[in-house]
Amino acid sequence: MTQQQAAIEATGLPYRTTSDRPLAVRIGIHTSNFFRTKPLGALGVVLILFCISVALLSPVIQRYDPEQVFSRPNPLYDPELAAQALRDPTVRLLHPPEKFIQGGIIDAQEPSSTHWLGTDKAGRDLYARIVWGARLSLLVGIGAALIAVSSGLILGTISAYFGGLVDLIIQRFTDALLAFPGLILLLLIVQVVDNPNKYWITLALGILGISQVIRIVRSAVLSTRQEQYVLAAQVVGNSDARIMMRHILPNIMAPTIVIFTISIGAYILAEASLAFIGFGDPTAISWGKMVNEGRQLLPAKPLMSLFAGGAITLTVLGFNLAGDALRDVLDPRLRGRGGRAGF
Amino acid sequence: MGRYVIRRALINIPVIWLIATLVFFATNVLPGDFVARRIAAQNPTGNTQEQIEAQIAAVKRDLGIDKPVAERYLDYMWKTVRGDLGESYRTRESAVAGFRRGLPYTLQLSLMTFAIALSTSIPIGIISAIRQDSWVDYVLRMFAILAVAAPGFWVATVLLLFVVRWQLWNIDLVNQPLLWEDPVNSLKLFILPAVAGGIASGAGIMRLLRSQMLEVLRQDYIRTAWSKGLRERSIIVRHAMKNAMIPVLTVIGLTIATLLSGNVVFEFLFNIPGVGSRILDAITQRDVPVVQAFVLIIATFVVFVNLGVDLLYGLLDPRIRFS
Repeated sequence: MTQQQAAIEATGLPYRTTSDRPLAVRIGIHTSNFFRTKPLGALGVVLILFCISVALLSPVIQRYDPEQVFSRPNPLYDPELAAQALRDPTVRLLHPPEKFIQGGIIDAQEPSSTHWLGTDKAGRDLYARIVWGARLSLLVGIGAALIAVSSGLILGTISAYFGGLVDLIIQRFTDALLAFPGLILLLLIVQVVDNPNKYWITLALGILGISQVIRIVRSAVLSTRQEQYVLAAQVVGNSDARIMMRHILPNIMAPTIVIFTISIGAYILAEASLAFIGFGDPTAISWGKMVNEGRQLLPAKPLMSLFAGGAITLTVLGFNLAGDALRDVLDPRLRGRGGRAGF
Repeated sequence: MGRYVIRRALINIPVIWLIATLVFFATNVLPGDFVARRIAAQNPTGNTQEQIEAQIAAVKRDLGIDKPVAERYLDYMWKTVRGDLGESYRTRESAVAGFRRGLPYTLQLSLMTFAIALSTSIPIGIISAIRQDSWVDYVLRMFAILAVAAPGFWVATVLLLFVVRWQLWNIDLVNQPLLWEDPVNSLKLFILPAVAGGIASGAGIMRLLRSQMLEVLRQDYIRTAWSKGLRERSIIVRHAMKNAMIPVLTVIGLTIATLLSGNVVFEFLFNIPGVGSRILDAITQRDVPVVQAFVLIIATFVVFVNLGVDLLYGLLDPRIRFS
């Protein structure tokens, strides 16, 4: 038994300091503090969790296959006339042709108890498609943020730590990428492959976001590099790699986590814009594409555009709120830097 | 100061060269080149594969894209340095002329967006800060958070829905008149994307201004101003605003930098023949010189606006000058 544990035993209380409590209790305390002090951030976390569970559970809660085509019976079909027409073909000439078609009509249906949000123009259940759309948005948003943050972290750290020519080259590349009009660069990268699928779009968005991450990481590393403990580590002969991993990385995690969370929202918006103008993954179910398809049903049936756009807004709202709260808690210095990576 | 300005301006030369190089190679690795697409589309039925290939080769020679990439790159750089940005494959019109024809539409849209963003965000940001934690503040902040999260194209679609559903006015999506050609019809069309874009960028500016205002209002010199009995109006406008606006000006500068690139999404949605929809078109059609020229013009503008913002920042805030 160590001295510290002996001291704790002597008090007779179950726990002395916060850090002695079991992990679950500590997480519970931090969570309840977060919810109390940052209600909006908590709302963001709830929205994110909701979106993630919808995405994970989409096969369970879908109600219908999102690709299944539903038709509705032809309301004008007149079985009596059709029966007459079989005996006497001239009947067909006296009545409009719709009256003889028994098959179903495929079009955008209004919401009903069978189709909660109605169907799209191709007769597919809108509720199922919105539920499945969560998968693409989350995949692209989180995937692109992971790519951008991990490569931006490496490049930014190298740029700031070594300085000199390396820094100069990386910085000029960053400047050039930042000066590119965002959506146009995205279009160019996406178009490099013949049939851009969702993974390629994720990669393109990640590449686009690197320069933003490099900037933030670089300035964080520049201030950390001057700290006494880093200089001390250098003096006693640690390798550059070890100093970066052990002494610098842990100290720039706060701004990194913040930029990671906030940029997810921006990537989701960017993917939606791309799909909206018709350059998304043609086979994927995308909310942005649905807003555009629904636009053709305006003004009579606005629900498709409204629901798909509302889903994007709520998801992005969740990541923005959570990111804002995280920033206030972890790194107040970043306040005021945008949540829209160049869009 | 003079030397600092010159040094900052010179740093931009390699940046512009990098942009030109990046866009050259980006457009050259695009699959399915313009000529093959065009000839495949126009192919008369009788032609054999060899005849088609001969045709493609002839047109490529004509356009000067049969040479190896390295040679074309040098060629392109040399022409760019002399200010010749090439001509469109499709129309044989110079790319700069095409840009100039799209520019009025994009500028009108951007300036209207900008005006709406500023005229709403600045008063709202200030009110929200000086009435901190009142219900006005909560409502305005909630609105701003929502406006940042909502995709612009969706907000524009919803606005369009309102106008069409209740027949508020007719929108001329065919002729796209400019403000000085037909002011009334032009406003009817451009106001929707301008409001949708203005709300989004205004919300960002508003949130930044609010947090800056709150920080400034807690400082000692503001307390001094209160205690010497100045009116609230004069404290806010004369004392607090001056300092709170500095970071906001940077964001406004960055917004100015996007004036030329336009908003591809809104131009697509409202069928506006501006710079954005032209470049979208050029990318789809693989009209490489147009893409290269447009990107180069836009990016150069952005680079120099950023330089201007940096210098302005130094002028406004002497603490960071020359650092």
